[in-house]
Amino acid sequence: MRSRMGVLVAAGLGLCLTSCAQVTKTLKAANLGSDVDKVVAATEKVQSCDKLKVEPAIQEEYALGSALAIHWAQRGGGLMLAGPAEQGLNTYVNTVGRNLAMQSPRPELRWTFGVLKDAEHFNALSAPAGYVFVTRGLLQGVDNEAQLAGVLAHEIAHVVLKHALNQYVSVKVSKCKLATGATAIASIGASMLLDASQLDGRLDLDANTGLMGEMVEGTVEAFGKGNRRDEELAADALAVELLLSAGYDPGAYSLLLGKTTGDGGLWANHPSKKDRQAQIDRLVQERREATDPLARVDVASLQRPALPAAFAIVGPGKKSTGVAKDAK
Amino acid sequence: MRRWTWGILLLALGVPVTAAWAVKKDEKLYVKARNTRVLKSAVPTADVVAVLQPGQQVTWKGADPKNAQWHQVTEPGGKPGYVFQTNLSTKPPNMELVAKDGKTRAIDPAAFVSSGAAVKALSPGAEKYGNEKGGDYKVAVAQIKTLEGLALKVTPVEIDKHVKQAGLFPVVAPNTKLGTQAKGGK
Repeated sequence: MRSRMGVLVAAGLGLCLTSCAQVTKTLKAANLGSDVDKVVAATEKVQSCDKLKVEPAIQEEYALGSALAIHWAQRGGGLMLAGPAEQGLNTYVNTVGRNLAMQSPRPELRWTFGVLKDAEHFNALSAPAGYVFVTRGLLQGVDNEAQLAGVLAHEIAHVVLKHALNQYVSVKVSKCKLATGATAIASIGASMLLDASQLDGRLDLDANTGLMGEMVEGTVEAFGKGNRRDEELAADALAVELLLSAGYDPGAYSLLLGKTTGDGGLWANHPSKKDRQAQIDRLVQERREATDPLARVDVASLQRPALPAAFAIVGPGKKSTGVAKDAK
Repeated sequence: MRRWTWGILLLALGVPVTAAWAVKKDEKLYVKARNTRVLKSAVPTADVVAVLQPGQQVTWKGADPKNAQWHQVTEPGGKPGYVFQTNLSTKPPNMELVAKDGKTRAIDPAAFVSSGAAVKALSPGAEKYGNEKGGDYKVAVAQIKTLEGLALKVTPVEIDKHVKQAGLFPVVAPNTKLGTQAKGGK
């Protein structure tokens, strides 16, 4: 009986991946007995998980972003904050980053930019609610402020476009669906997800560190696959807008991308650097040739400012900038 | 050739039509950046007529014929002035979703600031979570709190100073003061 039930549940939930409502309706109409009733109940629970597909409120975003920021800082070997010189570097990165962020479509978030100690990797990361990090290794490969601004603008764009937040919502839904399975292991997180799926779909992560851990670590795991190609290109497109808005030359950012050795690689979904550079060039060209006075850009007025003395603390640059990685 | 004929022609050729930027005289535009200055004339050191915040609307009159980076507008109070080109947008800034008293509502940036929801530090749950994980995570909690303190000190005043030194565009003004600008445009 147990195995028959398992088969029915598996079949019901499996079919649910395509047309859950239709499966439930058909099974109900067939009136096949108690086992089928249990399958119907399970499929209805799976359907209710879709109610978690709602945009989180800012409080949930703050909680998720804060916890992810802790993970990024831990993974990056900590933040460069030892002494006035390292703190001065962070102040400079915040000055460049906050200027861009205050011109973004989310100008009032409390944006925070930080430098990770990691000197081995050429990497930039962001987390919801306005956290952006760059590795020391990335800063060693930067030649001017416009290149740094390009990297920061790209990460700001991921936050503005809520790419990580969308991935978190997918994790919520998939964990909820797993929790409805016949062999699901009951956990506090699972029961809270199921409860939320019966309400407005939103979670109070701050109220339960167990739930927070489950959701944040699930989201960190999902990041392992990297950003989708369309998300990367959308982040680059918004980054170009932010650079043009602030007066930086996006060509410098394109040059930095060209210096990286990353070309998909481990991040199979990433667009190639050639595709990214081609898009940047095209967007700038369109704005240079625009006839609309609001869109037209005088490229001669765009800048590639020199890096300040505070930047010396990052150490000498390397010949190769390594594989460019990026996580939301 | 009429405008719509051009549109059809461009679509037929597969050329993207940048309708997002199209603006006509007397149409409303949004201010997108924090502390957007409306100046008396089309120079960055001119007297400040008004300081607007993201999401506020101005009436667009056209680009200044001598310097196309400055655009003539009428601010919400009806006063004429000039705004830097990249402060203006045809699209409003994003709305923020705020939960309060069991309900969730989307609010504009101004309401977001006044609601107090914009005041963020490391969330209490995340701080507890990181401290409970211990080791490097606990260290990370302390470091992010320090970093947030540093970031908070980078105000529009510091940004404006840097922008001037680097020769960037005067988009984010240092303050909301009206009238004559301090020496150096600060």
